[in-house]
Amino acid sequence: MQQRFLTISLFMLAAVFASSAASASGDADAGKQKVQAVCAACHGLDGNATADGQYPRLAGQYEDYIVQALHEYKDGERKNAIMVGMAAPLTDEDINNVAAYFSSQPGKLSDLHGKVQGGD
Amino acid sequence: MIRSLSAVLVLALASAPLALHAATLTGNPEAGRAKIYTCHGCHGIPGYENAYPNYHVPRIAGQNEQYLINALHEYQSGDRTHPTMAAQADSLSDQDIADIAAYLSSFGNK
Repeated sequence: MQQRFLTISLFMLAAVFASSAASASGDADAGKQKVQAVCAACHGLDGNATADGQYPRLAGQYEDYIVQALHEYKDGERKNAIMVGMAAPLTDEDINNVAAYFSSQPGKLSDLHGKVQGGD
Repeated sequence: MIRSLSAVLVLALASAPLALHAATLTGNPEAGRAKIYTCHGCHGIPGYENAYPNYHVPRIAGQNEQYLINALHEYQSGDRTHPTMAAQADSLSDQDIADIAAYLSSFGNK
């Protein structure tokens, strides 16, 4: 019983550390400079590009999801010929900044709440 | 030389109809609306986070159509590695994917 309590405590402690790493907040102004130089051509300066539907909208996307995705491209967990090259030179700070900027832009993205047939 | 050339030709001819087929599928937004029922559990909850790793499940309503189609195929092929999404995508046909992408992208026009 005591051991179980210890295990649960350790797990919660790990969760706290994990969430602090994920929520490291970037500098949106610095992110905008980087976006202008690197991302805007395909994603739009405000993250709302729609000219070519293969490129995702990023405006209003969750900040920590953008961070996650960029690290996955960098680490090779996501394989995309274009994004591998784009993500490779970004530092952790660049990634946090870019994510802070895109997530703060107004856009059309939303969750599925209220959009499911027969659901709410 | 000729043999390897003809092998390339055969491969090209064999794969062309597949690529063409995938590209010409037309998504039906109404059908997609019924097919996103399983997506809703994770993508439908504002602020929902995965238990591990700890980040938000992305907002996908209003996303661009071709990006959604590509992403789901990448989960199927293993070019994207998220275990839950790989399992979900594996259960979808090309038509399912086209329908879901048509429905979700329609929110970008509103």
